[in-house]
Amino acid sequence: MKINGTLINYYFHCKRQCWLCANRLNMEDESEEVRIGRVIHENMAMDNENSELNVENIKIDKITKEYLVEVKKSDADVQAVKWQVLLYLKILKEKGVERKGKIEFVEKNKQNSKTIYLELTQELEKELELLMEEIEDYIHKKNPSEVLNDKKCNKCSYYSYCYI
Amino acid sequence: MSSSTRYITSMGELSRKDNSLIFRNDKGHKYIPIEGVKVIYCLNEVSINSKLLDFLARNKIIVHFFNYYGYYSGTFYPKEAYISGKVTIAQVKKFEENRLEIAKAIVKGIGINIYEVLYHYYKHGYKELKPLLNWLNKETGIILNKLDNIKQVLYLEGSIWKRFYETFPIYLPEDFMFNKRVKRPPDNPMNALISFGNSMLYTKVISQLYKTHLNQGISYLHEPFESRFSLSLDISEVFKPVIVYKTIFELVNNKKIQVNKHFEKQLNYCLLNENGRKIFIENFEKRLESSFEHSKLKRKVTYNTAIKLEGYKLIKNLVEGEKFIPFNLKEKI
Ligand code: SF4
Repeated sequence: MKINGTLINYYFHCKRQCWLCANRLNMEDESEEVRIGRVIHENMAMDNENSELNVENIKIDKITKEYLVEVKKSDADVQAVKWQVLLYLKILKEKGVERKGKIEFVEKNKQNSKTIYLELTQELEKELELLMEEIEDYIHKKNPSEVLNDKKCNKCSYYSYCYI
Repeated sequence: MSSSTRYITSMGELSRKDNSLIFRNDKGHKYIPIEGVKVIYCLNEVSINSKLLDFLARNKIIVHFFNYYGYYSGTFYPKEAYISGKVTIAQVKKFEENRLEIAKAIVKGIGINIYEVLYHYYKHGYKELKPLLNWLNKETGIILNKLDNIKQVLYLEGSIWKRFYETFPIYLPEDFMFNKRVKRPPDNPMNALISFGNSMLYTKVISQLYKTHLNQGISYLHEPFESRFSLSLDISEVFKPVIVYKTIFELVNNKKIQVNKHFEKQLNYCLLNENGRKIFIENFEKRLESSFEHSKLKRKVTYNTAIKLEGYKLIKNLVEGEKFIPFNLKEKI
């Protein structure tokens, strides 16, 4: 499976989640969080003409002259979103479109600001490549990692599967 | 009743009208908005066309058909939504390498849940149940461990059910006395209730497993492809005591279903009449939608969801090698 933004995001959030998703074990969405996330995206899509762009297998929320914008419900997992956006920037760059990244959080808990800006430097690009190789290896393992036993599991769509 | 399930009990025609469903008969017509609908039961003669089926498939709606007499005739199953080659391969591998592990777990689960149902009556003074309770509690597990082929496992399963049926005269009203289980066609009211209840449960399991990646043709206790959904037959077993029999016992003991009011008796068979089926379904749904605190998930789940969770447990066994322990009424896992 091609590494996409979702997988990168999951990899930081929870490796197990990444493995399950990459191996196409998708669960029926039960969690309210997942539903809310989708609704935010749908609303956005209606507000903006050029939002929800599909490039290869990634979904981009919004593109402006200067920025690629990713909208997230909460800032619980900043690291995950950052790498996800860097991947998008890289894919766009390969298509000849150079942009900077901008992440907007609808709800902020941890960060001071609601918006984060980032740029795809050469260094980061290398790091990203290594990261993708790492993920590639990981998802081809025979078994996923153990269940996290973390409170973030409560909001995960794999909760029932992981804890049953 | 779960709002995502619709029952059509009268004769008529179901079709698509724009983005809704419409049900027509000589009494008039009724719109059924499609939002939120996941399963439709046709419990009478209902005409449909392929345009409707296409619409239902696109909206991932499952339709279960029963004929006028309450016999299950089949299921319209939209193209599988969750497909995983990995799971299918693991299912086959398990069948070839260790079918008995799952089959035995299921039979053990049946025994445990029957024990739990009977224990309720034992507590209420039916001391005659003691020998069977002992047998279920102490012996079936030991016997099961020693078995090394599927025929023997099935034989033990048969004995468990048979001994369970034999307890009916102890705690059920006399007119529902049970001589022996006759499946097709059921020849007395109790058999009619069991047949209808089991078919209803079977369709519920099909609907729930549809939400998982499992291939419903590959089963362990039943022969694979014994029916199109043999795996649903497997998963149904441990829920029968919990859902079907508890519903029946309650309806019969509280006289909500009565021999002279709710059955159609013909020469060789006996069936629930329309009203009887309605009462049964109402109570059956109520039980499925009632919830309990799941000991492992530490969340409230309905029995209906517990059926889907069985699917998850099986996937976990197949993909990650976790032990498969079917739903246990006592432990609530
Ligand atoms: S429930 Fe927890 S362990 Fe399971 S995938 Fe989600 S975050 Fe990971």
